[in-house]
Parts: sequence; structure tokens; C-alpha cells
Amino acid sequence: MAKTFKIEVITPEKVVYDDTVQSITAEGTEGSFGVLADHASMIAELQTGILTISDVNNKTVRFALDGGFVEILANNVIVLTDTCTKEGEVDVEKAMAEKASAEKALLKVGSGVEKEKAKAALKRANTLLKLANK
Amino acid sequence: MLSTKEIKQSIRSISSIKQITRAMEMVAASRLKKVESRVLASRAYTERMQQVLSHLASSIPSERSHPLFTQKESVPVIKIVLITADKGLCGAYNNNIIQTTAKFIKENTGNTIKLIHIGKKGNLYFSKGGYTIEKYYPENVEKFGYNQVKTLASQLIDGYEAGEFGQLHIFFTKFKTTMQYSPTSIRLLPIEKDAIKTKVIAKGEYIFEPSAEQIIEHLFPKYIETQIYQCILESLTSEYAARRVAMIAATENAGEMIDELTRSYNKARQETITKELLEVISGAEALIKG
Repeated sequence: MAKTFKIEVITPEKVVYDDTVQSITAEGTEGSFGVLADHASMIAELQTGILTISDVNNKTVRFALDGGFVEILANNVIVLTDTCTKEGEVDVEKAMAEKASAEKALLKVGSGVEKEKAKAALKRANTLLKLANK
Repeated sequence: MLSTKEIKQSIRSISSIKQITRAMEMVAASRLKKVESRVLASRAYTERMQQVLSHLASSIPSERSHPLFTQKESVPVIKIVLITADKGLCGAYNNNIIQTTAKFIKENTGNTIKLIHIGKKGNLYFSKGGYTIEKYYPENVEKFGYNQVKTLASQLIDGYEAGEFGQLHIFFTKFKTTMQYSPTSIRLLPIEKDAIKTKVIAKGEYIFEPSAEQIIEHLFPKYIETQIYQCILESLTSEYAARRVAMIAATENAGEMIDELTRSYNKARQETITKELLEVISGAEALIKG
């Protein structure tokens, strides 16, 4: 059996996931990366995207993360994120509506901050939809 | 000895007080339930974030140290964020945290102390006696939302980077159980480097992605925000728990008083009857004799 490590996915509301797993794939701000057991110590910033966890039984669980941070230290991985949606719990209608309103806001192109906000909202909605449609 | 009428009156007023304390107890209990689950849930996040940040702080070589981690002891100004309740009637809750803060201030007389108050009671106490109150949030502690915390945190970080103050402490009441809560303080700035497992770190340097500086830039404000917010939640939970306990005691005491007063009321009534009977009997005897 492959070597395993511990992972915790935590939001301010709850501990979303806490288990021993084989591998994870996360989307860092510099591109996506995989983590296996005995990974070097690392602290990375995450972008809005999908976190894939492959547990000891080779089953995969996927989460949509809204940015965050990951720390890897001695086979303990901590993922800190503001919001986290589990695969299968995506409200598709809501995500669609959010996508539409974000796209509309982007067309108007307001000031720099507003544009960034709309971009972020669009990315969030897209990630959720990607998670829902696989 | 009070007359029966007077006793009856005080029984009535104590009963209505008892009703009020009972209602307050129920309100506190239901609020406690709501906020208790929240505080326990967010504690994991706050603790982990603190852990990650202290790892980060200790793994950066000192010559590359970020301004937010460097000691600014040369600036003799300490800022204190104090979280108290807006209302009393919650036992020693307010007094405990205020006394803890006052003691800290006394121990640091060499520094200029600037207070930031969240909660009315702390402001009330420290507005007398020549303390510098930098800011007071008159809104309810309950309504102090995450957005406000965010603004406060960014103001504090900017101030610290500009060298306006050398230390930032937060005083709050940590919630343990519904019967136990302790006044606590944390030094938020500069970040405390204790609770670091140096052994583990020694294994190897951290890889930072994208860079240590950028992670600090983004993680640090978040850390201060979550810490302050967590402290507010802890304090709120403790306040409700304290109020509930105080009100349970008050309701019990009112019950005891009512019992006692009822006894003396019965006694007084009995005495009047006996007195009247004696008068009738002695009157009748006087008639027979006459």
C-alpha cells in the first residue's frame, strides 16, 4: 500500500475534511501541484479552484475552494480556506445566476476594484460549475 | 413587624422581578446555544491559522524578516483592544476582564497606552481616570460583524507598519464551558513566536509558493482578522453563559425570598386573628362579669 498522510480542510465554519489520505491535488497561485506522502515542507497560497483528495481506498473527493492557504509539514497537511463546497453539494442554479451577473458586471467594466471583484466572482461560479459537471 | 398589606406588596414585586430574571435567563440560554456552536467551530480555523503563521514567522531568516514580524520595542506605545459587554447583570464577567486589563496597564506604566473599546462597560470604566481612549465602538458587541473587524484590522496593521505603536494586545474572555470562562490576553503584534515546534522545522526549510513575502502579505491581515473575530465570539459566548448563570441565581434567590415572605405573611395574619379573638373573648368575659 502506498504511504499515506493526514489532511485537514478547515473553514471558519467547520472542519470540512479530516482523514488519512494517499494524495491530493490543489491549485496554487503558480499552477496546480500534487502532494504525496513525505512531501517537503511547504506553505503555498491557493487560488480559487478545485482540491482533489484521493483517500486510502483510492476513492476521490473533490472540493471547490475559494482561495486559501495550504501548509505541508511532516506528513500533516492543513488547508485553510474561506469557503469550501463539496462535490455533489453545489447549488447549480445559484452558481449559474452568479455567473450570469458576474459576466454582466464585467461587461460594464467599472473601476479597477470592481472589475477585480467581478472577475473573482466569475471564477468562483465557474469553479463551482466545473465541480458540478465534472 | 410589617403589616400583612405591606408584606403582600413586596411578595408581588419580588414575583415580578423573578419573572424578569427568568425571562432573561431563557434569552441568555438561547443566545448562548446559537453562539456556542459557532465559537467552537471557528476555533479550529483560528488555531490552525496561528500555527501556520508562527511556522512561517520562525522559518524566515531574520535578515529577510518582514516588517510585521520585527519587534518595534523602541516605540513605547501599546495599543489594547478590550472586549466587554454592553450590559451588566452578568456576574463578574465585566469586572474580571476590566481588572485584568487595568493590571496590565499598571504593569506597563513606561509605555503610552491607547485603548480601543468594543463594548460599553469597558469604555465606561476607562473613560474615568485619565486613560487614552483611541476608539470606542458604540454599536452592540453582537452586531460587530466581520466587515467591521476587517476595517479595524487593516487600520491596525497600517498603523503598526507606520510605526505608530510597538505592541498590540487584545483582552477578551475565553469561553471554556458554560460554567467556566477566563479573562485572557493575546499579543497580536508583533506575533508571538512561542508554541513553535522547532524540532520539526529543523528537518528542512519551507518551500514558499509564490514567495514568503507575498504569503505574509496575504496571510497576515487574515490572521489578525480571524483572531479579533474569534476573540469577539469567545467574549460573547462567555457573556451569555455568565448572564445565564447570574440570572439562574437571581431567580433562585427571588424564590427563596418569596418563600420567606409568605411565611412571615402567614405569621402576621395568624397574629392578627389571635389578637382579634383575644379581644372578642376578653370583651365577652367583661360582659359576663359585669
